[in-house]
Amino acid sequence: MLENLKAATFEVFEGMFFLFPELPLLEPPRWKGPGVRAWVPVNGPRQFCIGLTVPESLARKMAANFLGLGNQEPTPEQIQDVVREGANMVAGSFLAREGASAAFHLQPPRSQTLDLGAPHFRLNLNHLLFLVEEEEGLEVFLGKM
Amino acid sequence: MPYNVLIVDDSATMRALIRKILQISGFNLGQCFEGANGREALEILEQHWVDLVLSDIHMPEMDGTAFVTALKAHHLWRGIPVVMVSTEAREEVLAPFRRLGVEGFIRKPFRPETIRRQLSTLLGEVRTPDAGELEGCDF
Repeated sequence: MLENLKAATFEVFEGMFFLFPELPLLEPPRWKGPGVRAWVPVNGPRQFCIGLTVPESLARKMAANFLGLGNQEPTPEQIQDVVREGANMVAGSFLAREGASAAFHLQPPRSQTLDLGAPHFRLNLNHLLFLVEEEEGLEVFLGKM
Repeated sequence: MPYNVLIVDDSATMRALIRKILQISGFNLGQCFEGANGREALEILEQHWVDLVLSDIHMPEMDGTAFVTALKAHHLWRGIPVVMVSTEAREEVLAPFRRLGVEGFIRKPFRPETIRRQLSTLLGEVRTPDAGELEGCDF
């Protein structure tokens, strides 16, 4: 299952965001500063969600690359929308790779901003952690609803 | 002849991306309309001439299934080519759209060339853009 989640992540990040996630070999990425979490609820025989957590700096790069903005700064709305779309594409690719039946319905993606350094911030239990561009953390997770 | 295109997707950034790809891909784009769901798309169809529809599947309020069903049942709109642009790749989900008469499927994540190729197959009029036209574009 996590192998399919990993393959879906590579497909989406390399193909749509021109970013190349790697699995960290030594230390896991450090989490601090503002961030964005986006997730797609999946309804069906089992209820779960598929999502991403990224620092705001990585979310900006995703938005700029996705929209071809060059040096122009993405707006906060564009940043949230692009991370939601990223979660949506990872979810679609993951379900297809898993051979999930049509009984599993993808719901519209949701997102929230987070303080990744806050004491109450938690990563999800069922997840993969990646490094992007050697310093940015990326969490891709399967969560309970 | 320029083609009027209707892009239906609940993500504003995805609509902007598709519009940009159409603009730079050599597609003979006339007016480009946008709707955030099937209901908005039907309202646009009521008011404007549209030659091609690119639609998402999963959308709030009125999803792609309800939208395409309504479009293909309408005597004036049923001939408009529809291409579904969605994260869905599951045949079980796509098969009902084939039965409704949808002409093409593009799966997200996609490459700009994929959209260009689909439109070329459907409409046969997509030219190769000059290098100068692509200058400054990050695709």
